[in-house]
Amino acid sequence: MTCNYCTLFVDLATRSLMIHKAMQIRPFARSSIARVAALNGLLLAASMMVVLGTVYLWTSRILASEGDELVSVETQSIGADFREKGLDAFVTEMIDRAEDPWIRGGIYEMRGPRGDFLAGNVVVLPELHADAAGWAEFDVDVVHGEASVPRRIRGRILTLDHGFRVLVGHDVQDRLAFRSVMLRSLVWALAMVILFGSLGGWWLGRRISRTAQAITKSAGRIARGDLGERLPISGSGDEIDALVSRFNDLLGRVDTLTGTMRAVLDSTAHDLRGHLNRIRGAAQDAQQAAREPAQVESTAIVIAEIDRLSDTLQGLLRIALAESGTAPLDAVDLSRLAAELVEFYEPVSAKGQLSSVIEANLYVRGHRQLLAQALSNLLDNAIKYGGAAPILVRLVAEGEMAILSVQDGGVGIPEDQRELATQRFRRLGGASGLPGSGLGLSLVSAVARLHQATLRLEDASPGLRASLRIPLER
Amino acid sequence: MKILLIEDDRRASDYLTKGLRELGHAVDQAFDGEAGCSVALAGGFDVLILDRMLPKRDGLEIVKALRAVGSTVPILILSALDEVDERVQGLRAGGDDYLAKPYHLEELAARIDALARRPRDSAPISRLKVADLELDSRNRKVTRANRKIELTTREFQLLEFLMRHTGQVVTRTMILEAVWDYHFDPKTNVIDVHISRLRQAIDKGYDVQLLHTIRGSGYTLTDDP
Repeated sequence: MTCNYCTLFVDLATRSLMIHKAMQIRPFARSSIARVAALNGLLLAASMMVVLGTVYLWTSRILASEGDELVSVETQSIGADFREKGLDAFVTEMIDRAEDPWIRGGIYEMRGPRGDFLAGNVVVLPELHADAAGWAEFDVDVVHGEASVPRRIRGRILTLDHGFRVLVGHDVQDRLAFRSVMLRSLVWALAMVILFGSLGGWWLGRRISRTAQAITKSAGRIARGDLGERLPISGSGDEIDALVSRFNDLLGRVDTLTGTMRAVLDSTAHDLRGHLNRIRGAAQDAQQAAREPAQVESTAIVIAEIDRLSDTLQGLLRIALAESGTAPLDAVDLSRLAAELVEFYEPVSAKGQLSSVIEANLYVRGHRQLLAQALSNLLDNAIKYGGAAPILVRLVAEGEMAILSVQDGGVGIPEDQRELATQRFRRLGGASGLPGSGLGLSLVSAVARLHQATLRLEDASPGLRASLRIPLER
Repeated sequence: MKILLIEDDRRASDYLTKGLRELGHAVDQAFDGEAGCSVALAGGFDVLILDRMLPKRDGLEIVKALRAVGSTVPILILSALDEVDERVQGLRAGGDDYLAKPYHLEELAARIDALARRPRDSAPISRLKVADLELDSRNRKVTRANRKIELTTREFQLLEFLMRHTGQVVTRTMILEAVWDYHFDPKTNVIDVHISRLRQAIDKGYDVQLLHTIRGSGYTLTDDP
């Protein structure tokens, strides 16, 4: 009666429910947005840093080379000039150059072999140290109208014939100012990029997270059995919408299949029970009419067999109901249910055999009757197969799960047969002498599936521990 | 007791009618929803037994129609559908009890007996008395011949249920449903053991035994078996 779609669906739904639950507990969504935003901001910042850094480096290199080129051109032939023109003419030209208002930013100084000042508009040469290529940088106060302003100069120091020294420099203060303005704007731009990048990332992350949340919320309702629910479509027609609408189509099919299955289940149940009811009526009628002891006995056997058949049918229908996933679920106080069942079974167990450790107020979304029947089957098994050894019923919360286990001290189930034990009509060796339909554990396992729970059969050495892990209701 | 049975399964209806008549009841039969509904609306029955799924008019619709005109006749719904969820629907529609097919005649007889004898006035009596056994549900006190009897909460509920149905047969299933709210067969003799514990508490040491086992049916609490 199950179908692949159902298994797939329940699996998907269970997972989304887990995600849904996880999101409710940890600030997963928020941290996810923060991560997307931070990553977005960082990536933007890094790429902008590379671009702007390159611009900055190239610009400052061009600016530097521009100034240096001027000086280089001026100083290229200065040695030859000096030799050709002679000292006096050269000094005169130096003075002219130093005082020429048209040469903006030009800095000159000339010193004789003994360091005596010959010409120039600055006095810095004696203290100046040049690098290997003859370049030096220094600050001078330049009179600018009334005030004198410190300006950065970069220049070249050349040693001419007979120990004469010449400094030809260029005002690079503007270049420095430009560079610092540029650097400042770059830092600002970077800060803006990080800010807007993060904001954009946050917005984007929130959008994605909202979509995901809406989907998980619906998926949670679907997983709880509301097959009429559909995942929300944003209407933007994007890939998520396409995915969601495909998923909705799938849900529609599951819904139809489940409906059909339930209808088939109900009509089969109705039909079979109707037949059994008539047969039982006839048999009871015959029993009333019977006069011979042999007739009374045989009708009693028939009635007993009909009742056994009814029980088996009832068991199968319950399993089918649980597996159809159409049983309505509600909040169930599992702690109370477990305590009540332990109390219920206590009189049929040996004195002091049954003990329980039950954590209070553990609620699950479930079907009270089916859960009670499942636990009743486990307790019945423990009492039936466990001998007089102690039985422990334990209910604890473990994270998002309620763990309900029944542990006996009986012979247990060999490891290779545990899988078989949950199959229908499977009665393991040693059980044939005891009453039972062979449906007990299959019902437990079907009820487990209905509750998105897992049934585990473990070796309690000695004995068997059957445990159900059921998602807790928030 | 005058019973109206609305059941479209003619043979099942005949067997049930025969069985009930043998138990001393007067039974009228209706075979579809419409006929059943008009007979039921005419009144004059102590109990109504109706099938959940009927031709022409659905069983639950009949229940609703009867309740709508203010009829308080006890109604037992029979159904061939799994009782777990159908039951809730049946009771919500105004049914008083619900029994799944195939049923035991004894079970059905005990249930309609309980339904017919249920007190009509709404306020339940808090002080119950059977012979010298007394129970006060307000202070949860039980005495027999003025001697106090200590009971667990569940034993108290079980005794209260039996005392409210004194003189009637209550089946194991009725006890299971009313006291524990379990709608499945626990497959063991748990109820018998609970009853025998209660019997220890209320009958041991007294000449007159009040809690009796009715073979093949269930139990009854009475001083006049």
